[in-house]
Amino acid sequence: MKNFGISIREVDNIRVLDISGELDAHTASQLENSLKSLIDHNHICIIVNCKGLDYIASAGLGVFMAYIEDVRGMGGDIKLTNMNERVYNVFDLLGFPTLYDIHDDESEALTGFDK
Amino acid sequence: MSPSTNLEERHSRFELRTLLETSRLLIESQDPDFVLNNLLLITMGKLLVTKGMILIFKPGENTYYATRAKGRGWLNENDEISIDISDDLLEASVLHGAGCEELFNQIGIEQESILFNLKTSNHHIGFLCLGPKGNKQPITENEIEFIESLTIISSVAIANSRMFKEMRRINRRLDRKVHDLNTLLELSKDFNLMVDRDEIARIFKFAMLGQMLIRTFFFALDVDGEKSIVSISGINDEPTTDDLDKLFELEAVTHVAEQAECDFLNENNIKLVIGLNFQGEKIGVVGVGARGNQQEYGPEEVNFLQSLGNLALLTIQKSLLLEERLEKQRLDEELNLAKNIQRGLLPDPLPTITGFDLAAINISSRQVGGDYFDFINTPDGGHLLAIADVTGKGVPASLLMANLQSMLHALAPIDVTLNEASGSINDIIHKNTPADKFITFFWGKIFPDGKRLRYVNAGHNPPIMFRKGSDEPELLEAGGVILGAMPTLMPYEASDIELQSGDLIVFFTDGVTEAMNPEQTEEYEEERLTECIRKNRDKSSEDIQQAIIDDINEFSNNIQYDDITIIVMKVA
Repeated sequence: MKNFGISIREVDNIRVLDISGELDAHTASQLENSLKSLIDHNHICIIVNCKGLDYIASAGLGVFMAYIEDVRGMGGDIKLTNMNERVYNVFDLLGFPTLYDIHDDESEALTGFDK
Repeated sequence: MSPSTNLEERHSRFELRTLLETSRLLIESQDPDFVLNNLLLITMGKLLVTKGMILIFKPGENTYYATRAKGRGWLNENDEISIDISDDLLEASVLHGAGCEELFNQIGIEQESILFNLKTSNHHIGFLCLGPKGNKQPITENEIEFIESLTIISSVAIANSRMFKEMRRINRRLDRKVHDLNTLLELSKDFNLMVDRDEIARIFKFAMLGQMLIRTFFFALDVDGEKSIVSISGINDEPTTDDLDKLFELEAVTHVAEQAECDFLNENNIKLVIGLNFQGEKIGVVGVGARGNQQEYGPEEVNFLQSLGNLALLTIQKSLLLEERLEKQRLDEELNLAKNIQRGLLPDPLPTITGFDLAAINISSRQVGGDYFDFINTPDGGHLLAIADVTGKGVPASLLMANLQSMLHALAPIDVTLNEASGSINDIIHKNTPADKFITFFWGKIFPDGKRLRYVNAGHNPPIMFRKGSDEPELLEAGGVILGAMPTLMPYEASDIELQSGDLIVFFTDGVTEAMNPEQTEEYEEERLTECIRKNRDKSSEDIQQAIIDDINEFSNNIQYDDITIIVMKVA
């Protein structure tokens, strides 16, 4: 099995996904399943904390693309936080910062959900 | 030291310091706006002019636009004008109204104004335009020199920052290219390990979504004429069969028009459709929606889509071929099993029947076949002998053969008459098989004393009998119609033969007589068979059988098209 981990926390009614390791073609479905199950249970305020993420491939980025509109359509959002420089660079290269709310720190994202 | 000198010195020292500080500021800045803004403000302040602007040259369109403009009556900021200007004038670094009236009029500035050329050694960037001094004083040489110096420094700073920007842009494009290539490389490695088509299609989808920054995507495949969607995202209603047909008819690269002819494309806002070929045939179609960054699909994106699409397609093709091969392997294994089962249905070893020299062989052209022969004991101490050939070959023929075999074995222990039993068998076969399946069938009963053979021939190639001492073969033809063709309307006829020592009978299927020569122009036929038997009739049954096989092999050059079955029976 590839080195990829995912766990879910709850902070102020917001679901925080901590992902770590390598998010690539083989592990993308794990992230997909987690996001899907959150959305299915109507948990649509989601933060993906990338603190432990070492690497991300296009397939991993695609998972975010596949669900962002659904989540926003339901009134929620997927915010991304705590990326290392290398990971951020990939997001940036593909133009993600224009579409996604990306924060340096999880706490910023948490306040971003205050309504 | 006179006060005036002192003042001049202080003045020039001030200018030098200004120049130095400004130049450091400008050179260190990578923001052209900042540089231009400073240049304008410093020079306007220095000369105490109330009007000033900076015109920037737009090389592609040969026009100038006012990036900064102060004071009333001149161009407004961002106004664009086209100016006719000779190359000579572009060489000069400072232009006065005198001699350049026309140019000054075009720009719309007073003749007392002054133009500074913003240029580097090989690039014309634009002009710094300064209006007349507020106190109507002429501009001194000193002042011009000072401003010229600032202009040069500013021009270099702007050129640098432009170059820096361009390099950053190129670098980023390069980074992006490297990333694209990495994605392709990585996926080709990943795909290599995958055989599950759904997974391949799903990964392809996610890679596309991430790479192109899209949400709407579909991937359709044509597998053996059967078109279907294999992965899809952001689309509400999957395309209908008609839609799919239309999608496969599109050009290899189709930038979808505002109002496309295909409703599916319009409704889902598909922007680009790409056809994927495998061995010259379009078997895949990929469609993508609008990009999140609002950018169009350029040649680079099309290229990437095609590359990744082809990669996914090839992987899927590979998995299909692999599956086919596995399926074939499985089928082969099953056929091998069937062959073993079928072999088990034939008597092995041959029974010995007192008073007879027997040999029999079945050579199947395929793994399973439709030929059959058998020897079965009867309760009265006699023996049943049977030979049959089911129409067709392979599995269907072998099933029917097995059916016949079980019927004979069920009948043998019951004391039945051959002709009645033949009728029953015919009715059963006729009822249970399609109209185009028949069995040619010959069977006989060797009486317990070994002196008599009673037989029924149901449309089978007549066995050839040589009586002891006779050179003329007799054919065992009597019986009735082929099994399975029609219900038994006329009873089958049984015939008896008195057997004597030295009599020889050869039973065979049409694989023998219809063996073809290599040119495929001629069959082996009864005549050659009869001749071969005649020549070898004095040998043992085993040897006669071998002689026949050798003769057929020689005739056909060892190429066998049909099952071959031979029984040789000699009365001792």
